[in-house]
Amino acid sequence: MVLKTFHADSVKGFRQAWADNTSDGFQPNAAVIFSSVDLELQELVSFLQTIKIQAFGCSSCGEFLYDTNNQVITEGGVVCLMMTLIPESFDIKQFNGLGRSSFELGNNIGKWAGERFEKPAILILGSGLETDGEQLVRGIQHVAGNDVSMFGGLAGDDTQFKETFVFSEEKLENNGAIAMALNTSQYIIQGLATSGWVSIGADKIITHAEGNIVYTIDGQPALDVYKDYLNVSDTDLPEIGVEYPLLIKKPGAQDVLRAVINVDREKKSLIFAGTVPNGAVVTFSSSPGFEIIESTRNKVNEFHNHNEEADLLILFSCMARHNALGPTISEEIDEAWHNWAKPLIGFFTYGEIGNNYNAACDFYNETFTMVSIKQKSDVA
Amino acid sequence: MSHKIVTLIEEISKAQSPEAFFGLKAFLLNELKKVHSDYDKLAFKYERSTKEKNILNSLLTKTSVDLKKVSDNLKIRAEELSILLTTIPAFVYFKDTQLKYQIVNQQFAELAGIPSDQIAGKMIHEVFPGYENSDYLEKEYAVLKNGIALYDLEEELTFKDWKRWINSNIAPIRNLENQIVGLIGISWDITERKLHEEELQKSNELAVAGTLAKNEFIASVSHEFRTPMNGILGLSEILKNSPLAPDQVDLLNGIISSAENLLVLLNDVLDFSAIEAGKMEMDYQPFMLDRVMEDISLVMKMKAAEKSLLFDIVIEEMVPNLLIGDSQRFRQIMINLTNNAVKFTEHGKIAVHVSLVKLSGNSAHLRFEVSDTGIGIAPDALNSLFRVFSRIKPSKARQQSGTGLGLSICKKLTELMGGRIGVESSLGKGSLFWFTLPFTLSILHKNRSQEDQPAASSCFKQKLVLVAEDNAINQRIVSYHLQKMGFEVELAIDGQQALEKYHTRNFDLVVLDIQMPLMDGYQVAKAIRQEEQGSMRHLPIIALTANAMKGDRESYLEAGMDDYVSKPFTYATLEKVISKALCRAIN
Repeated sequence: MVLKTFHADSVKGFRQAWADNTSDGFQPNAAVIFSSVDLELQELVSFLQTIKIQAFGCSSCGEFLYDTNNQVITEGGVVCLMMTLIPESFDIKQFNGLGRSSFELGNNIGKWAGERFEKPAILILGSGLETDGEQLVRGIQHVAGNDVSMFGGLAGDDTQFKETFVFSEEKLENNGAIAMALNTSQYIIQGLATSGWVSIGADKIITHAEGNIVYTIDGQPALDVYKDYLNVSDTDLPEIGVEYPLLIKKPGAQDVLRAVINVDREKKSLIFAGTVPNGAVVTFSSSPGFEIIESTRNKVNEFHNHNEEADLLILFSCMARHNALGPTISEEIDEAWHNWAKPLIGFFTYGEIGNNYNAACDFYNETFTMVSIKQKSDVA
Repeated sequence: MSHKIVTLIEEISKAQSPEAFFGLKAFLLNELKKVHSDYDKLAFKYERSTKEKNILNSLLTKTSVDLKKVSDNLKIRAEELSILLTTIPAFVYFKDTQLKYQIVNQQFAELAGIPSDQIAGKMIHEVFPGYENSDYLEKEYAVLKNGIALYDLEEELTFKDWKRWINSNIAPIRNLENQIVGLIGISWDITERKLHEEELQKSNELAVAGTLAKNEFIASVSHEFRTPMNGILGLSEILKNSPLAPDQVDLLNGIISSAENLLVLLNDVLDFSAIEAGKMEMDYQPFMLDRVMEDISLVMKMKAAEKSLLFDIVIEEMVPNLLIGDSQRFRQIMINLTNNAVKFTEHGKIAVHVSLVKLSGNSAHLRFEVSDTGIGIAPDALNSLFRVFSRIKPSKARQQSGTGLGLSICKKLTELMGGRIGVESSLGKGSLFWFTLPFTLSILHKNRSQEDQPAASSCFKQKLVLVAEDNAINQRIVSYHLQKMGFEVELAIDGQQALEKYHTRNFDLVVLDIQMPLMDGYQVAKAIRQEEQGSMRHLPIIALTANAMKGDRESYLEAGMDDYVSKPFTYATLEKVISKALCRAIN
């Protein structure tokens, strides 16, 4: 597998960098691209079409790229990983989400991946404001089984919460998902997901919710509860709601975090990145402070000890971590880069999807979710 | 860091060559970059802390308000619990995992006679000295071990000078980590309930005994009625055979008909009390179905003809004829249903239909239907029809009479014989009563010649008969009938006299009443048979009895009698039984 990376701050710059990187005759057959919505994305897609590369991309909330030449965390730019994958061992397909539930969307992806490979691993990017990440994951699992490996994130729009995109070389879509299926008989895919967020405050009850829309908490309009408890103004939401997600208590299972990704000011309801069940016992949650960086670094080191070999790393980090940790977030990403010293690309998300070690795949918020990909040595 | 930069600047100022200068400059720039980055991070942390401080302050303030609410609620709950504990009419205790009391309520403390604060930390035997029910403690340990509550544990608690019945529920108490940290017990004093239960048990026994006594009373009263009934019917029969004016015949028929109705009534009451007392036993014997049906047909055709009704019996070809069953009881059901049909029909026809439901192995399930074209029964009355004392409303029944026991007896009898009974009816159009009965198929042919022995009056000529009967009227009736048959009658007024007279003459037949003073019929019969022992002699003895229960027949035969006649009896019945006994003796 030959890999090259670059970053740019415009479509023009992207074109130039692509040309520079292929001037030596390098012919990649796939590209992973994470871009700010500041860039003219339609123009970017048109360019990808002209160079006939199979692209797997989405809009972001900040992008990062670590390689021997570049170690950047940017906002308002674009990062790209050019790859030569075994042509018969991967495929990329875009799925439209219009008029479909997230669960149905997941069904379609799971069905496609299962048709492509007997044992596929799936990389997945979903539009960030329309997708119920949990239902998307359940939808895929419903078809492909609970043990299928999946990694990915929900697209961002630089915390504007207006319109997010997924794209391939064919088209740009604001409602849907794009999936890359990899044949696990030729690629080893491993993952880690860690959060560090902690519960804060007294228990509350979700008194009215439908899917990922919460109308009332303890009988009060959900928007009012957030504004009241966090002492913030209307306009601070949904952004502040990503940093202070609800922690759903699950007796006998791991608690899950659900971040606010949208607000219906008329109905005073909040739209979360994943399902929040009616009657659920919840608390607010928060990053405990900068010490979570240390905790993440330890987890990354542990993961490295367990899984030293990798050709590349893709990282999906919640935008709330970026907000909470600011420039110090680089310390988490640095740790991953230093451990493997292999190309690492990623973006700040509106939600993460992944398998933590061998556990079944789940949908998360507030996590540092990482996937390592290694081509098996016996394959050319 | 700043010290390092100052040193670098000093070194730059002393640089000896351009190479050294540019090298140091690059180094300095890199260091400044690091400082800048560290500054950025610090600045962010500061800014972030300020922003977060505001949010966290708000969250904490709100949370403390929430917690205050929670704590207030807890206080209210605690207060409610405390009120519950003091007002509940039960003994409540909390124990730890060593089964030491933690908290008990006032009622519990009063029961123990120790202040509640002195009970905490003690074991049960310290609170109730002498308490030795290890079973109860084991149950408490089981609750702690299994985490499953136990209910309704009853024990008799003896303590100091009192003894009480206690009913307890025990449930485990868990902490937030779901670990069992103790148990709660709630006990009630159920001594009064226990006493009530005992009383109830006693009164129940009394009630059962009362019912039994009532049934026995009814049975014996019914029995006592039979003797005068015998008198009325017997004398009426005698009277009927004497010359009478036509209007006197009518009056006499009225008396006979009323007496017969009364007899049916008596038999119903007797049957019913036997069924209620569980004394009704079936007598399963081989019989021929067509014969029984012919008998019924003979009787019912006459009754039907009196009202100008048609009466018809159809037995389907598949129906087996030789059966084992209680033909008397079967006949009783048929007669009852057909009688009702005639009773409630003014025009048209009564039809009896017999069909085979199922034939398997040596058993046959038969269905009997009695349909009429009578007044019918309203749907709301159908359900209660087979209940005791159920009579259709007087307006519907019009001038009809009965005890209301007939159908309920039919139901009981069919059920006792393993069958079912039911009715379909349409008001104004008629009714169809049906019942099913299982029978065993009989392979034995009943000896017809014996059963159908013709009345051979020739056997009676010049014969001497000893009649023992204490009732003067019955003496007259029996004597009248026997003399009419051609016997010479010798009367005895009790058992002892009968035995004495037996020794004085050579009798051809003895007719013995069962209930007599000094010696009863059984004793007389036994004495006679004892004297006959060793000889070839066998004097025919016939019992006259008001007891008509099943089982009686066996006891007569056991006492050595040849047959019996139930009171009240007719001339024809008496003649038939006597002729049978005498002819058997001759043969």
